[in-house]
Amino acid sequence: MTKGKQPEREVVSEDNVYADVYRVLLGGMIASVLFFLAGVVRALMHPQPVPLGSDWIRSHYHWGALVDGLKAGDATTLAMLGTILLILTPVARVLVSIYAFFVDRDYQYVVITGIVFLVIVLTVVLAHFGLT
Amino acid sequence: MTYSYSFVLWLFVAANLAGFLGALLGVGGGIFIVPVMVLMFHLPIKIAVAASIVSVIATSNAGGSSYVDQRITNLRLAMFLEIATTVGALSGAVLALYLKAWVMLMVFAVLLAYMAWAAYSTRNLDDQRIARGDFARTRQDRLSAFLKLRGSYHDLAAGKTVEYVVTGAPIGTFIAYLAGLASGLLGVGGGVIKVSAMNRYMNVPMKVAVGTSKLMIGVTAAVGSILFFLAGMIHFMVVAPVALGTTLGATLGTMVMNRLKSVALKWLFAALMLYLAYGMLAQALQLGFGVHLPRVS
Repeated sequence: MTKGKQPEREVVSEDNVYADVYRVLLGGMIASVLFFLAGVVRALMHPQPVPLGSDWIRSHYHWGALVDGLKAGDATTLAMLGTILLILTPVARVLVSIYAFFVDRDYQYVVITGIVFLVIVLTVVLAHFGLT
Repeated sequence: MTYSYSFVLWLFVAANLAGFLGALLGVGGGIFIVPVMVLMFHLPIKIAVAASIVSVIATSNAGGSSYVDQRITNLRLAMFLEIATTVGALSGAVLALYLKAWVMLMVFAVLLAYMAWAAYSTRNLDDQRIARGDFARTRQDRLSAFLKLRGSYHDLAAGKTVEYVVTGAPIGTFIAYLAGLASGLLGVGGGVIKVSAMNRYMNVPMKVAVGTSKLMIGVTAAVGSILFFLAGMIHFMVVAPVALGTTLGATLGTMVMNRLKSVALKWLFAALMLYLAYGMLAQALQLGFGVHLPRVS
C-alpha cells in the first residue's frame, strides 16, 4: 500500500513495523471472524437455551472438550476459538513489533514494547494463580 | 437464554452501529454496546462487560489495521502509552471481578456523562490548528524528546501533510493508566479518554489520536479479556454476534473517518452518551437502593 506514505526520515525507518503490525491485525481479524461466523451459523441451525454460569463456560476449557466440540461442530466451541484468536491478535502484534523494532535497531522501543509484553504475561500469571 | 434469530440479529445490528460510531470517534464501541446489552437485551452487567471487552479487540483489529496501513497511527506513541494503559487494565479488571453490579453501573454512568462532555468540548476539532501548522511548532518536554515522539500524516479532508511533535508524555502516561483502569473495569476500550488526552495535553492531531488510540485499545482490551476468560466470565455465544457486528461496523467507519469533518457527529455522540448515562444511572439506583427514576424512551 502506498497511500499516505510520507517522505520523512523517521516514518520511513519504521516501515517494517507498520507493515508487520498491519499483517498481524488483518490476519487475526479474518481468522476470528471465520470462527465466529461458523459458530453463529451452527447456533442458528440448532437453537437451544444456553446457561449463563461461569462453571458451564469453564467446562469447555479442556483439550478433550475442544476436540469433541470441533468434531461435532459445536457452536460454543467455535465461538470460543474465535474469542481465543481475537485475544491473541494484539498479543501477537506486540511480539511482532518487538521483532520489527529489533530489525530496525530501535532498541529503545524494543525495551518499551517488551515491557508491554511483560505486563500481558503478568496478567496471565496472576489470573492463573491468584485471582480466579 | 435462548439463542434465537431475533436475538442474534438485533445484537449484530446494535454492535454494527457501535463499531461504526466507535471507528469514527476512535473508541472501541464498548461504550455503546454495554448499555445496549444491559438496557435492551437485559443481560447482567458482568456478562455484558466481558462480551464487550472482547468485541473491543475486534474493533481495534479492524479499525487499527486500516489506520496503520494509512500511516495515520503513531506506533511509537502507541507502544509507549501501552505500558501505562495495560497496567491500568489489569487493575481495573481485578476490581471488576469483586465490585458489586450497582457500583459498576454507577461508575459507567459517570464515564458516559464525562464522555458526553468531552465530545461536546472538542467538537471544533483542530482544523484551524492544522491550517496554521501549529502542531509542528510546540516545544517538547524532555521525556517526549527522549522517546522520539513525533510524526506526520496525510490529512485527506485538509488536503495536506500535517507534521506534529508530541509533548506532555508524563501526563499522557497518567491518563493512559486511568483509561486502562476504565477499560478493565467497564468493558470499554477507554478510547475516548485516550483520544482526548492525546489531543488536549500531548499536541497530537485528532486523527492521529484516533488512529493511535484505536491500535492501543486492542492490547488494553486483551489484558482485561484474558482475566475474564480465565475467570469463565466470557459468554462466547453472546460474543460471536457482537464481535462480528463491531468488526463490520468498524471497517465501514474507518473507511469514511479520514474524509470527515466531524462536528455534527460529535453533537450526536454527546446527546447519545447523555441518554445512555441516564439509563445506566437509573439501573444503578434501582439495583442499589430500590429508587425508580422516570423512564425516558
